[in-house]
Amino acid sequence: MPKNKLTLKIILILASTDILETFIHFCFKKSALYGAGISIGFPDGLFLFMKAMALSPYLWFGLLGALLVFAFWSTILSKIDLSIAVPIASLSYILVPLSSIIFFHEKIPPLRWLGILIILSGVILVSLSANKKDIPA
Amino acid sequence: MNLSLILVIGLIFLSSSCDTFSQVFLKKSINSLDIQVNSIKKAIRFILKLILIPRVWLSFTFSTFSLLIWLFVLSRIDLNFAFSLDSMHYILIAFASGMFLKERVCYKRWIGTGLIVFGIILVSLTK
Repeated sequence: MPKNKLTLKIILILASTDILETFIHFCFKKSALYGAGISIGFPDGLFLFMKAMALSPYLWFGLLGALLVFAFWSTILSKIDLSIAVPIASLSYILVPLSSIIFFHEKIPPLRWLGILIILSGVILVSLSANKKDIPA
Repeated sequence: MNLSLILVIGLIFLSSSCDTFSQVFLKKSINSLDIQVNSIKKAIRFILKLILIPRVWLSFTFSTFSLLIWLFVLSRIDLNFAFSLDSMHYILIAFASGMFLKERVCYKRWIGTGLIVFGIILVSLTK
């Protein structure tokens, strides 16, 4: 059975995967900021860092998001080929840097954007090479 | 940003490697099960059988290490910079699936992998 019918429903699921993926990275960065001031030494610093992470609600939001993405992704891959799904889902390579500008006031120099676009094209090429045999039906 | 570039790349490499090991162990465990999941009941049985495999727990352990290192990197480094560099897991997975899972890695995938390497170098130059 060919799995390449890109319906509106699938596009919507893929788009929500992109947004969720960006949300996950936002959450992990947020929770990591709780540990920004902790200097890492062994074992005290490490345990302090782990405690700060575990106590941050963002970490758990992020993990919940990761679980959801996993569920979405499993649904998508049972409906369309990986080589079609990944290029649409790689939008997060653009969305994550954008969200880091908006929410964390990070600066992205032009050369880095160029690097990001080249990485994105590489990711798409890798997914296009996905062999149908790679994915059990 | 208060970590040197080499240390950041090293830590992201370590996090990506842990993630790759986690994926390989998970894939090996799933391959060994050979259950067709086509109903909820079978899906539950699949998951129950899966978590009984020791290698799956090894996979979770590596996953946890990977997340911990990743959080540490994010606590010191800009998200957009770290996220771009994290795409190196595509390269590691290409190597690992060829080596440990005996999957065929075709030329298109190597070209894509080369582009990712080039992009990572460009991004690294901007720190």
